Amino acid sequence: MLIRPVAEDFRVIGFYMGRIFLVVAAASLLPLAWAGIAREWNPFGSFLLMTGVFALLGVIGVRLAARESELDWSHGMVVVALTWLIVPIIGAIPLLLSGHFGRPLDAFFDAMSGVTTTGLSLLSDVDHLASSLNFWRHFLQFLGGQGIILAALTIFAGTGGITLYFGEARDERILPSVTSTARFIWAVSVVHLIFGVTALGLVGWLVLGFDFDRSIFHGLMIFFAGFDTGGFSPQSTSIGYYHSAIFEGVTGLLMVAGAMSFGLHYAMWRGPRRSVFANLETRTILSTFGFTMVLTLVGLAATGLFVNAAGLTRQGLFQILSAHTGTGFSTVPSAELAKWGGLAFGGVAIAMALGGMGSSTAGGVKSLRIGLTIKAVVNQIRQVLLPEHALVGTAYHQSGRKHLTPALVQSVMIISLLYVALYLLGAGIGLAYGIPLQESLFESVSASANVGLSVGVTDPSMPILLELTYMVQMWAGRLEFVAVFSLLGFAYAWVRGK
Amino acid sequence: MRRLVRVIFLAVVFFIPDPASAAEEVSVPEILELGAELAGEEITVEGELVGDYGFRGDGSMWTQLNGDAYVDQPLREGGSPVGANIGIALRTPVELTGALDPPGGYRNRGPVVRVTGIWKYHDSTRPGESYLEVQSLTITEPGRQLGEEVNWTTFTFGALLLAAAGVVALLIRPED
Repeated sequence: MLIRPVAEDFRVIGFYMGRIFLVVAAASLLPLAWAGIAREWNPFGSFLLMTGVFALLGVIGVRLAARESELDWSHGMVVVALTWLIVPIIGAIPLLLSGHFGRPLDAFFDAMSGVTTTGLSLLSDVDHLASSLNFWRHFLQFLGGQGIILAALTIFAGTGGITLYFGEARDERILPSVTSTARFIWAVSVVHLIFGVTALGLVGWLVLGFDFDRSIFHGLMIFFAGFDTGGFSPQSTSIGYYHSAIFEGVTGLLMVAGAMSFGLHYAMWRGPRRSVFANLETRTILSTFGFTMVLTLVGLAATGLFVNAAGLTRQGLFQILSAHTGTGFSTVPSAELAKWGGLAFGGVAIAMALGGMGSSTAGGVKSLRIGLTIKAVVNQIRQVLLPEHALVGTAYHQSGRKHLTPALVQSVMIISLLYVALYLLGAGIGLAYGIPLQESLFESVSASANVGLSVGVTDPSMPILLELTYMVQMWAGRLEFVAVFSLLGFAYAWVRGK
Repeated sequence: MRRLVRVIFLAVVFFIPDPASAAEEVSVPEILELGAELAGEEITVEGELVGDYGFRGDGSMWTQLNGDAYVDQPLREGGSPVGANIGIALRTPVELTGALDPPGGYRNRGPVVRVTGIWKYHDSTRPGESYLEVQSLTITEPGRQLGEEVNWTTFTFGALLLAAAGVVALLIRPED
């Protein structure tokens, strides 16, 4: 029998959401300050409004809802799912008021795309956007990539910390406590921020010949979107704007760092580094990267678009790296990407669908699930081929020796199948609107796996139902379904429960 | 004899078309659409310079030329948000850049220029990059500042909400 949630359930959820909103209100002081310093007064007003909404909701939640109490699993999941829904709604206020969107839903789409580190955009005329709004878009990707909840957990953990931590699609706790894990993740990110912005800024200033302040601006924006595998860019032509192999190289390193699990970062920081390459996840992602890379390069060679191997390799490598890490940066226009066709197109689409590592800022099915699925299938085949009483080894290496249990295989298969279903859902709706299969599938995978590469389907003139579908895909894909299903179950119990 | 030479010279100067008029006139969307077909051809295109002017060590200046709806009607001057920008890269010898107004951005509409050059599509000398190698550049409309009308309503509402949050925090204490 379904039990209808009572007032106490709402109070607990309200209390934790209030705390998270207060943290986001504090974070939104950064774009507010940016707008003030840049003397961009219209954006300043809209950031003030957004900060006010976050602060008021936060205070109401903390003061009026309830005192801190035990947060059980279902409450935690509901908090996570609602947070990832409401933060982009409120975060869309400055975007909406900027005049760069035709309808409110488009601004919400961009905020959702930012928070979920997808990178698809309906923003018009980004080349004339205020710098503070550009900062907000990219900072949303940083906040979302790190995890909104994780940001809050760094400041408070409380009794429900662990539930919230896992609800945000993280499946490993690196250090004994959630707070210390959250702080470690932030430490890794800050170190990358310092090195990333410095490197990109220097390339911009010394190699590309930009003004110093603009170099730092570009460096910061590309760092946020690269390390958090988001894919927004401050100019309309994405990374193609910079026309620099060195800039692409530094960006590529940041994308790889972002797509690595924080557990792997920990192993690389604290050692032993040799174990990094023994991990099933590392081996899987290297294999799938190699496979999709070969597909793409062979496909590109067949198109005849490139006159020499150097150009083909540079462009193919960057696009496939961007797709596999779930970043969504590109060095070729959407219209050209759509023309790639055949193997090259398939290679990029498969790389997007597979995604990066678990517990990273990347999306998609994730390498560990791919690796475990392949291992389970291989084991099954070996079991059939070997004598009836033969034992097939189930051990695998992933931060130590582990065993592939039936329960683990089941869980991996379910999530992987849900991703496939999500990819097909968007593709089906795209097809229903008359968009060709290849393009529908590509854009749907891009939204669901939080990548952001586009072949031009995502456009302000797109049908509202398709836009809503992509938003749901981004949301569910980022949270890896569990929190979303918990919220739906909670809502259903509220309506139909007794 | 000198008169004849002068006549011939004037006739040559008058009748030989300048490089710009010999080039095929195309729009930025056409360049992106036709890409490969225009490779290596001399073309003329008009649009707004946006983003940055990147002066590189090889004596070239890189920037972006947009040819979209916002060139004629910037958003902040009543234009409609009709979609993403449409732009190509320009690689211009520094000596042609002269005194350009600042590139387009939030504060200004960049200079609108008419450029003629060779369309490099996935150029082999710059592995895989596509850009217009500019040979001549004419400013057809100088850059100008874009005004910013401050919306005081958002300021007021924002301040009121923050004040309300402060009041709630001060007046209502959590239950023990």
